[in-house]
Amino acid sequence: MPGAVWLAQRPPPLPAAVAVAPAPVAVSASGVAATSAATPDEPAAPIRIGLPTLGTDAPVVPVGVDERGEMAVPDDVRTVGWYRFGPVPGTAGSSVLAGHVDDRIQGRGAFYRLVELAPGDPVLVGSAGGSARRYLVVDVERVDKTRLPTAQLFARDGPPLLTLITCGGEFDRAAGHFRDNVVVHARPA
Amino acid sequence: MRRLTLALGGVLATVAALAAAPAAQAQETGTVYVVHGIPNTPVDVYVDGQRAIDDFAPGSSQGPLDLPSGSHQVALFAADASDGSGSPVLSANADLPAGANVTLVAHLSESGQPTITPFVNDVSAVPAGKARLVVRHTAAAPAVDVLAGGSPVISGLTNPNEKALEVPAGTVPAAVAAAGTTEPVIGPANLDLKEGTATFVHAIGSLQDKTLNLVPITVSNLHSAPSGVPSGAPSGAPSDPAVPGWLLVTAIAGLLVVGVSARRIRAGAGS
Repeated sequence: MPGAVWLAQRPPPLPAAVAVAPAPVAVSASGVAATSAATPDEPAAPIRIGLPTLGTDAPVVPVGVDERGEMAVPDDVRTVGWYRFGPVPGTAGSSVLAGHVDDRIQGRGAFYRLVELAPGDPVLVGSAGGSARRYLVVDVERVDKTRLPTAQLFARDGPPLLTLITCGGEFDRAAGHFRDNVVVHARPA
Repeated sequence: MRRLTLALGGVLATVAALAAAPAAQAQETGTVYVVHGIPNTPVDVYVDGQRAIDDFAPGSSQGPLDLPSGSHQVALFAADASDGSGSPVLSANADLPAGANVTLVAHLSESGQPTITPFVNDVSAVPAGKARLVVRHTAAAPAVDVLAGGSPVISGLTNPNEKALEVPAGTVPAAVAAAGTTEPVIGPANLDLKEGTATFVHAIGSLQDKTLNLVPITVSNLHSAPSGVPSGAPSGAPSDPAVPGWLLVTAIAGLLVVGVSARRIRAGAGS
């Protein structure tokens, strides 16, 4: 099946020796840090995201809506956007972070390997105060873009959740975009 | 002060703080706001014969208030009146449909007569990233323009009419000027138009008496989600090789077939 071959061409996960140590202590080079006694600051706009099991660490910037009414994902594929009209991480509802998966000119995006996350994997979200807010992945799914349940994914009430979004699945060359969104749901640890 | 009795017909009505509706029934209700836009006239507001708002100050608003749907009578008495007997300053009788969201504005007409005008509040969903701004001309003044950042965004608005806009969320320095001019008669004042909200701004008072002012009411939680998350390849192509996987498999299979055929030919020729 074309989709399966496409995935097979992507690089394998990092060997275990390079993987970041598991919780409760997880530190990455650029400062998304969590200690066993981490107490997040007052909820504030996120500025970094860490995916320790993938060795991913990326800056986060607030973003809004583009001229088509879609979330304005940062053009720089190595930067992740946080939907600024939704909840700040740590408050009620779904905080949404999205990044471009890949690009012929720029190369692989910060969320290139998002689809490799597994339930239980940690996600660290840092804000300007310094200490990180820790989440655990609940599930990872691929959804046809035309059926993305945006009202749920961008809910501003209910339990505080973290939602990570990128693209995936088959690349539709005629249309110039991927067919699916990859959606990771995470809850506070 | 004019005493004016209005029959507002099939449209809506007023006000407030009645005794709690019986809990047992799923009673249908409507939502009501009230704006007091008549200068120098503090009033008490009576609904269906009961005092609902005490010492309602000009230039202020009350709400949201849930009222049972149906017909109500609202009367405005001078605030120093002891009760709801005698002649009200203004009174109105109207129907409130179930599920309606309305604002009743007590204000001066263009020529300075006290009156009550009901407005339906558009509290439908606001597109993602935007805010709804509704401006209502309920002041004793001729036609006005509404300026945002010095440029007109509404032109020629007259009493007692309204105009709605959807604008990008943010803080807007807004002003009201005589139609066709840019010299503010109200403002400029910063309007904080938060994403997913509707702000209803009532221009009230009298131009002649220099009592013009704005009374804003904001309704929140009207936001919509973005329609998608385009997070693929910004340049229109991903970084991996151009040949899709299935074509690669077919090409390899084709080479194998050619290779076998070549061997057979060589074997045949050499036998």
